[in-house]
Amino acid sequence: MAEGFDIDHLAKLARLSLTAEEKALYSSQLNSILGHFQALAQADLPATIDDARVVRESALRSDVPGPSLGAAAVTRIAPASRDGQISVPRVVDDEA
Amino acid sequence: MSSASAWEVVIGLEVHVQLHTRAKVFASSSWGFGQEPNEQVDPVVLGLPGTLPVVNREAVEKSILFGLVVGAEIPARCAWDRKNYFYPDNPKNYQLTQKDFPVVIGGSVEIELPGPSRNVMGEHKHVRIHHAHLEEDVGKLSHAGSGSLVDYNRAGVPLLEIVTEPDLRSAAEAEAFLRSLVAMLTQAGVADCDMEKGQLRCDCNVSIRRPGAPLGTRTETKNLNSISSVRDTVIYETARQIRELEAGRAITQETRGWNAELGRGYVLRDKEDAHDYRYFPDPDIPTLELSRATVERLAKQVPENLYDRQRRYMDTLGLPFTAASVLVANRELAEWFEAAVAAHPANPQGLANLVANDLLRELAATSGAPTGFEEAAPAPVSLASCPIKPAQLAGLVKLTDEGVISKQQAKEVFAEMFKSGQDAAAIVDAKGLRQNSDTGELEKIVQEVIADPAVAKSIAEYRAGNEKAINALKGPIMKRTQGKANPGLIDQLLRKALG
Amino acid sequence: MADALHTLSAAELGRRLAAGSLTSRALCAALIARYDAVNDKVGAFTHLDRADVLAQADASDARRRAGQGRGPLEGIPVAIKDNIAVQGQPLTCSSKMLASLVSPYDSHVAERLRAAGAILYGRLNMDEFAMGSSTENSALRKTYNPWDLARIPGGSSGGSAAALAAGLVPLSLGSDTGGSIRQPASHCGVVGLKPTYGLISRFGLVAFASSLDQIGPMARSVEDCELLLAALASADARDMTCFGPDERALTSAGEAKKLRIGIPKGFLGKGVAPEVAAAVEAAVAFYRAQGCTVSEVELPSADLAVPTYYVVATAEASSNLGRYDGVRYGHRSAQAGTPVEMMTNSRSEGFGAEVKRRILLGTFVLSAGYADAYYNRALRARAKIRAEYLAALSQVDVLLTPTVPTPAFKVGEKASDPLQLYLEDIFTIPANLAGLPALSVPCGKSGHLPVGFHLVGAPLSEAKLLAAGRLFEAAHGFAHQQAAL
Repeated sequence: MAEGFDIDHLAKLARLSLTAEEKALYSSQLNSILGHFQALAQADLPATIDDARVVRESALRSDVPGPSLGAAAVTRIAPASRDGQISVPRVVDDEA
Repeated sequence: MSSASAWEVVIGLEVHVQLHTRAKVFASSSWGFGQEPNEQVDPVVLGLPGTLPVVNREAVEKSILFGLVVGAEIPARCAWDRKNYFYPDNPKNYQLTQKDFPVVIGGSVEIELPGPSRNVMGEHKHVRIHHAHLEEDVGKLSHAGSGSLVDYNRAGVPLLEIVTEPDLRSAAEAEAFLRSLVAMLTQAGVADCDMEKGQLRCDCNVSIRRPGAPLGTRTETKNLNSISSVRDTVIYETARQIRELEAGRAITQETRGWNAELGRGYVLRDKEDAHDYRYFPDPDIPTLELSRATVERLAKQVPENLYDRQRRYMDTLGLPFTAASVLVANRELAEWFEAAVAAHPANPQGLANLVANDLLRELAATSGAPTGFEEAAPAPVSLASCPIKPAQLAGLVKLTDEGVISKQQAKEVFAEMFKSGQDAAAIVDAKGLRQNSDTGELEKIVQEVIADPAVAKSIAEYRAGNEKAINALKGPIMKRTQGKANPGLIDQLLRKALG
Repeated sequence: MADALHTLSAAELGRRLAAGSLTSRALCAALIARYDAVNDKVGAFTHLDRADVLAQADASDARRRAGQGRGPLEGIPVAIKDNIAVQGQPLTCSSKMLASLVSPYDSHVAERLRAAGAILYGRLNMDEFAMGSSTENSALRKTYNPWDLARIPGGSSGGSAAALAAGLVPLSLGSDTGGSIRQPASHCGVVGLKPTYGLISRFGLVAFASSLDQIGPMARSVEDCELLLAALASADARDMTCFGPDERALTSAGEAKKLRIGIPKGFLGKGVAPEVAAAVEAAVAFYRAQGCTVSEVELPSADLAVPTYYVVATAEASSNLGRYDGVRYGHRSAQAGTPVEMMTNSRSEGFGAEVKRRILLGTFVLSAGYADAYYNRALRARAKIRAEYLAALSQVDVLLTPTVPTPAFKVGEKASDPLQLYLEDIFTIPANLAGLPALSVPCGKSGHLPVGFHLVGAPLSEAKLLAAGRLFEAAHGFAHQQAAL
């Protein structure tokens, strides 16, 4: 297994739940893919990242409010809503 | 048996401030307090598939302005990163923030601690800013029965996160820092800082060490939304950590919350997957060049630092600390005061007295303005609808200085000026308030009163050395002049007559 | 005449519409009839809103009668890959996650097509969230190669290419992140262009890998492709990575016969099937005979391209797909005791295997302790690759290779080996990494299966690529070829 590739940990980070079969299959497939990345690990690379694009302030947006979707549209798209707000299962923790 | 003096508390603050803009930072929908849920949400805010962020120029300029206000470095470029984590109030499940290339680097905030008494200016200190970065706020969660509800109106609001160095050493310093910061932010127009509307929130880092020792392990208490809760958190956490250390236990690095009602802190439940935010540069927002021309233009908008102004008032205009302190707390008020001084430079103390007391009281009464920072801080009032112009107040003080009216009468005239907006001279004439400064006439009255046997005793006492006895003669004189005799002149003439 | 309409080029259709010998309604009716006859077999479309199409056609005809035709695309249907937002139409990305999403807004390109008077025609099948090279990863349906219905059309814009090759529509939009326009174009014998990164706004393109994705035109000829490109390429303040109005001038085409062509050293040896190599070599010989110079160029970091791409693309994808959690839109699981459960189950039920694999890989290469070894190294490798390509393109006008090493494989043949599929992107990936424009043009067959050659140019050199493509197609019979169905 590629060093450090812990599929359970990654699945949790990515909010995915995998069956045992999926874990086995994906682990082996991703292992072979990561094995192919050796060229990247060994290559002689420049020290800095080329920032291909830098923008000037003219690309920024002026501070003029634009239209909103409206609560009706937002709740219409949402899978569940109540009183204009989107409902989700009870959040217990105070922060992420 | 407190050994608190053997420990030093080290505090650093991360202050999240909602910037004063009309639209959100990466989306164009408007934002503001008091709207119906999800009415300020557009496809970009909601994170609909295919939407992209576009940076709001005003949010960047307000951030730069803050940097200039605190004397920070504005770098040549800044960039945004993604902080990835899943949470229902986070529409994209990543927050756009600035990790490596923030818009403001360094700087410092001058703070003023309370003095030994109300009239005495306290010690000043400088608190260094590590950096400030521009990011987006998240939506609001509320809890309803067995579920929770999400309102995304607040998602995408521009937040400037201001991070201090761990330079603070007490709850008083933390409080002073926040008051100073709020004053600087509001006076420069960077943010409104209305904490009741959640426009300013604070995370508080506290650690304890022996003086001279390296920094101890710190805890972070998050989401404090009033200055008093910051103060109380510092006091609480200092005591708690000292207790732990003196009992031989180590401090755990943890994230905490503050329960204001119960007056205590608590540990926020640790998630099993410790936060790996997997930061990387946001590929949708190219690196932004911050032009020197923009920085120079914004530099002109930086107001005078309130403590520089306070020193100027005290040193150059001779104002006492209390008056100066009140005046500089509100930039509009200070500038109004300065315009009055320009119209009548001879008596800045007289003007300051009227502005800091009478004018401020009248304005506060009529404006009913919301509090910008709470409790013992002056409410920001607006001079926009003040019925009096600075030159008019100057006129009033001039009349007093010239002896046309007494200081007592001036208060009466001022009240009338505020009601009607009329000039002082017009009111004085209309009410016939001109002081009697006719020396000849007053000398006659003085002689008449001195001759009255009723005051003989007082005269004798005065001549014997009792200074205060002379006041007994002033009443009758005032009566005979319908209260219009110039008190200073009366005093002068009496002393001359009595020898 | 009606049954021949589906074989005509967009240019010819435009001429007939302008001349008044054809109405948009008649054209759309003919294509709908073709759809009814053929789409079940080919599976190019996942959705076609007939009433909406005919209403658009009628509006176009009315504009034309009022003398208010908007240009060469007026009244011409353009089919849209299902990851490009069209207001009021599905935006499924061929995923269960978004199966019921109807877009409440228009992408920039949809606005541009409306402004050009084009008919927004249906939703095209794709690999789920654009992740794949065969369209087999669609959660909605299968798409087959019109030239051989037992084979894949390529991907991820498989529906976009198959619709053209099956005569279902004259023009289509695809998206390209590592070859997803060009590879299916090659497999289906049609033309596909990935423009310079930043030429076409990504506003309304569901993001897979933000620094690599581009929308591009697909057609049965280079001429038609150029028509479509002109309508799509314009500034858009809603996409900060899109060129501003003063930054997007295309370099002039120059004389196609004087092009300097560069062949990357060793590329033809990279597992290229003999018939593919032969067809591409014949194309090179053609250009040489026209007077173009052909030389070898060195691209020493070529071997880094595939790993670099899969690190960068999956990293960005793992973040871009984080928003799909069942909270605000899309599929929400019924197993939702806590928010974490709800998000996890919604995502696990909504995403297919390839998407999950790439999210896991992308999460890994960004994770604490590994980001330096993978993601940050990949960014540096990308810079090196880009520098090498720009250096090469300062010596030659275009680089020429096959588009894909082998022709379309059989359905299911490569389903179990993702790595094998990744390695086939070897010719197309570098253009995405370097942000360069690239064009696939049909140049022959391997047996009965189409083969395409691939041109890459310097930034904003689309005109040169298209001129080179037109020179080739004018002298060969591959333009407008359609499979017999």
